[in-house]
Amino acid sequence: MAVKIRLKRMGAKKAPFYRLVVADARAPRDGRFIEEIGYYNPLTEPAQVKIDKEKALKWLNNGAQPSDTVRSLFRREGILQNGEK
Amino acid sequence: MTAALFSAIVCICKGWRLDGACEVTPVLEKTTAMNLLYDFYGSLLTEKQRAMLELYYHEDWSLGEIAEHQGVSRQAVFEAIKRAQATLTDLEEKLGLMEKHLKRQKLAQELLKRLETMPEARSIAEPYVTRMVDID
Repeated sequence: MAVKIRLKRMGAKKAPFYRLVVADARAPRDGRFIEEIGYYNPLTEPAQVKIDKEKALKWLNNGAQPSDTVRSLFRREGILQNGEK
Repeated sequence: MTAALFSAIVCICKGWRLDGACEVTPVLEKTTAMNLLYDFYGSLLTEKQRAMLELYYHEDWSLGEIAEHQGVSRQAVFEAIKRAQATLTDLEEKLGLMEKHLKRQKLAQELLKRLETMPEARSIAEPYVTRMVDID
């Protein structure tokens, strides 16, 4: 079954904050996920990003599909190279 | 507030739509800007639009996944999200609640920063600033 890496929104109203989670593609949206591999806080200057690179690469190598937003974050953080799928 | 996020918000406030017309806005800032707009005006959308935006921007599902889950075509999801986004940006253009909120947050931060060198004044002002920020 397909596994996805998603940017899940947390945080209070008007203060978005995101967790990077590995979740089953078919998991219902009840917050269940397999593993949390980092976070992204866009409201600080500069934005705070923390990603467990080792875990991220492990999941990518095991065929986990990052969402477009996660892929963009991975590129910014140098976990994925430009042009890399 | 990062420069990129700010430019995304400016981009939205100018009414540029989010489906590619504003290529300079990186995808992450777009998501955050849409989430902020949703926090302000989400209650004015229809139930269906809210459900789709939440799946797309809170849960980070793809259009295809939302389509499958809702039992509609991918195109229908795309159109619904696009319409909802247009409604949100239109409301922001008219009411500007998000922009005003962000300006107030920034002023409060600046004020507290200025008061750092004056601990006594800060201790008096801080509870009021906090209460003011909490109203937002």
